Amino acid sequence: MGDNNNTNRGLVSANAAANSNRNNNGSHHKKPEWLQQYDLIGKIGEGTYGLVFLAKIKPPSPSRGKSIAIKKFKQSKDGDGVSPTAIREIMLLREITHENVVKLVNVHINHTDMSLYLAFDYAEHDLYEIIRHHRDKANHPLNQYTVKSLLWQLLNGLNYLHSNWIIHRDLKPSNILVMGEGEEQGLVKIADFGLARIYQAPLKPLSENGVVVTIWYRAPELLLGAKHYTSAVDMWAVGCIFAELLTLKPLFQGQEVKGNPNPFQLDQLDKIFKVLGHPTVEKWPTLANLPHWQQDLQHIQGHKYDTAGLFNVVHLSPKSPAYDLLSKMLEYDPRKRITAAQALEHEYFRLEPLPGYNALVPIQPGEKVINYPTRPVDTTTDFEGTTSLQPPQTASGNAVNMQGAHAVAGRSVPRPMIGVGMPRMPPQGMGPYNLASQAGMGMNPGGIPMQRGVSAQAHQQQQLRRKDPGMGMPGYPPQQKQQRRY
Amino acid sequence: MAANFWTSSHYKQLMDQEEVDVVQSLDKDRGITLEDFKLIKMHMANYILKLAQHVKVRQRVIATAITYMRRVYTRKSMTEYDPRLVTPACLHLASKAEESTVQARLLVFYLKKIQSDDKHKYEIKHILEMEMKILEALDYYLVVFHPYRALSQLLPDAGLNDISMTQLTWGLVNDTYKMDLILVHPPYLIALACIYIASVLREKDTTAWFEELHVDMNVVKNISIEILDFYENHRMITEERILSALNKLSMKP
Repeated sequence: MGDNNNTNRGLVSANAAANSNRNNNGSHHKKPEWLQQYDLIGKIGEGTYGLVFLAKIKPPSPSRGKSIAIKKFKQSKDGDGVSPTAIREIMLLREITHENVVKLVNVHINHTDMSLYLAFDYAEHDLYEIIRHHRDKANHPLNQYTVKSLLWQLLNGLNYLHSNWIIHRDLKPSNILVMGEGEEQGLVKIADFGLARIYQAPLKPLSENGVVVTIWYRAPELLLGAKHYTSAVDMWAVGCIFAELLTLKPLFQGQEVKGNPNPFQLDQLDKIFKVLGHPTVEKWPTLANLPHWQQDLQHIQGHKYDTAGLFNVVHLSPKSPAYDLLSKMLEYDPRKRITAAQALEHEYFRLEPLPGYNALVPIQPGEKVINYPTRPVDTTTDFEGTTSLQPPQTASGNAVNMQGAHAVAGRSVPRPMIGVGMPRMPPQGMGPYNLASQAGMGMNPGGIPMQRGVSAQAHQQQQLRRKDPGMGMPGYPPQQKQQRRY
Repeated sequence: MAANFWTSSHYKQLMDQEEVDVVQSLDKDRGITLEDFKLIKMHMANYILKLAQHVKVRQRVIATAITYMRRVYTRKSMTEYDPRLVTPACLHLASKAEESTVQARLLVFYLKKIQSDDKHKYEIKHILEMEMKILEALDYYLVVFHPYRALSQLLPDAGLNDISMTQLTWGLVNDTYKMDLILVHPPYLIALACIYIASVLREKDTTAWFEELHVDMNVVKNISIEILDFYENHRMITEERILSALNKLSMKP
């Protein structure tokens, strides 16, 4: 990985030349050495942190012709070097390997402009596009096999992350990729780890990273200001995505109040309560401790809701296994919410049609194979991000559909959040001091081989199960009392 | 994986002492000996600590920064990667990796405050450039495990979690970063060696406890001897000795 054999000097001169040529018709002849192993196809996404490009590996590489998504991080605006988002993403993806997690194949640095490039295996589809295709073009729902296979693989990847103490924190349809034609066709890949965190022994409360998770998929405990949230926030998002796969509409489409550092989003909570009813302290005991629950009594507690009923909204029989699973994912109390490991064992996945490896091609004969559209590529943008004929873009809202309205003369325009996914909400600046958390040293046993006491196997199970509702910290082994301080 | 040491990049990257003790040829050309090499790294570890105390970061950030620095010099020469610049850059990168970002401008501010000589005035821009070079030199592996977590678990298990033992072992672990142990041994073994030394010093009988652990006591004892040897040698290290090693670096070969 990397270009350790490239000298810095080589890159500098090559790139200076590229820069000087740029105004000359966007010439790509002089590129940094590492860039020359790729053929740039075009831009496929854009976000707060930079741009995403589609490229193909050139010969003589044995993987020539293979498609690669390259995420370019701009130098952080605060003039503080590599953005913490990029660091977080690199550091996690460098450690993890799973078939349902996007694969980081290379990291490149352009020392001249201090930009950083992450190269991923390219996935042609994502759940945002697949859902949109069914809603707007195909006009029929996803078949049951596809829904179940997508969900199972998503949970399988998430179970891997959670058992490694990683919370994704930004799950949404556009971050769930699906491989197109090829060996891995129909395989789900969880992408965009820009907000992901190792929560085993954080030096600060997780909430200090700022509010995370796109509002529609945000768990109620986050909306109510929980400081010590857990992997259960990802399961809430999975529940929302599951419902969206069934109905082709986002389940809770709240209006986001922007520019508000406060995580409290009244409209989003309102949308949730309308479907699931009012949460109660009886059902969710720690609710009373959440800051915004206490502070906003008249708004959220005063309103009475006529519950529409989740089963009505998603058109499922309340007795169906699918509904049972969904309602367990959308459990208000994060400690009671189903875990990824438990969800994988749910009856829903043991009933026909059984989930499969290739979610896009049903095994049953006679089922129609849907040809999902390929990702739009903007071929007018080069790696420097220079655009020759870039149509105007509006980067706003949750997964706002960028198709159609802005398309110019047959040239498709990339959506703001696709490809390897770009988180919309940057973590808020972290101060240099962390005296407040000086006392909280990590005490989890994850990395330590303890040959007595807790056996490795028992420990594994503790990581996967959540059976200690008294701790306020789901996901943690019950007997480790010290962990309460997180 | 990020949480299991045995599947982590840290475990896979553990090296033999002989591999760590290789002086890069560019440095050799300047007359740097293995002893110089070790001294400069120790001096840098102390410098990181000093800088970190000014910007107030947790011990784990310091430990990660020192580990990065030591890893860098298993691959890169001090001639090309100036220790005076690698030090703040490692701390900057480690602070981001450990979610306690310290701004580069703050590091520069304190660098200038600490530094007595005017020869090596480094600015924010230099730190940020070096940060990227370090990221590259580390081959983008940033997750580092430390003995502290093991220590805070093992001590109560051994019934040694009184303040005096905690402070002693914690201090011993801190001092292990003046050596290359973190590149060579799994962190929990380093923690055990520190507990072993502390229990001998304080005359606590931990024999039965160690036996029950089913760890290779030879390894634990060897690490302990290394630490004790270091303390023994450390007394002979003078400021002049370190300065002369550093001066070799600034000489033309």
